[in-house]
Amino acid sequence: MGVLDYFKSIPTMSADEARKFLAGKNPDEYNLVDVRQPMEYEGDHLPGANLIPMAELKDRIKEIDPDKPTVVY
Amino acid sequence: MEGGIRAWKGMVAHGPPESGMAYFSPAANAEEIVGLAWSLEEGSRLFYQGVSEHFSDDPEAGKMFEGLVSAEKNHEKHLLETYETLTGTQPDFVGLRERFQDSLSGAVMEGGIKVKEALDWAKDKGVAESLELAMAMEVNAYDLYIKMSRAVEDKQAQEIFKKLSAEEQVHLEKLAWLLERRV
Repeated sequence: MGVLDYFKSIPTMSADEARKFLAGKNPDEYNLVDVRQPMEYEGDHLPGANLIPMAELKDRIKEIDPDKPTVVY
Repeated sequence: MEGGIRAWKGMVAHGPPESGMAYFSPAANAEEIVGLAWSLEEGSRLFYQGVSEHFSDDPEAGKMFEGLVSAEKNHEKHLLETYETLTGTQPDFVGLRERFQDSLSGAVMEGGIKVKEALDWAKDKGVAESLELAMAMEVNAYDLYIKMSRAVEDKQAQEIFKKLSAEEQVHLEKLAWLLERRV
């Protein structure tokens, strides 16, 4: 990752767009990442979401397939 | 996703990441998974059957839950077909029952909920509340099957979990449609 990567704009989706995106796809076709804390995940989470709390992202980045679109919340 | 989960108006699952996963060992083979998943589907079918009997004075609701009983039967059928396609054999249910006596009794339904407890809860509830419980159970099963498809090592078992999650997704859409009609 280079310095310029920090200046890349990341497209965002509204919740409605995310719902449509996820509904039309097989769970194999995307990464769905919940970056909140475990207690929050336990309370409720999007079905199939992979819990990777923000503080652990750097160490667990390999769990996210860079060839697939990623939805993060 | 803008607004995070607070902006999300769709279905949500509950529980920690490993919720329900202890039920299926990551090292389980396709046959064990089919046996256990079939048992959970059987539990769900018994739940829908019991709920349909609660609504004997409401023909539309009774018919709706009978439709869900049929959907679970189809789900069980597809599960066995998937297994046969992948392995060319049929699961040894007699052997599986001997190994997993506690799990294969049909007493637990999808989402890990005991059928008897769910039916006791549902007996004085309306159609919408019973459907909401069904959705909570099915969405947790959907969540579990997606996670298990990533966690298991056996390729055939992965395929079975992918098939199961795809079927749960369709089932959930049907439940959401039914709930919308009755609320």
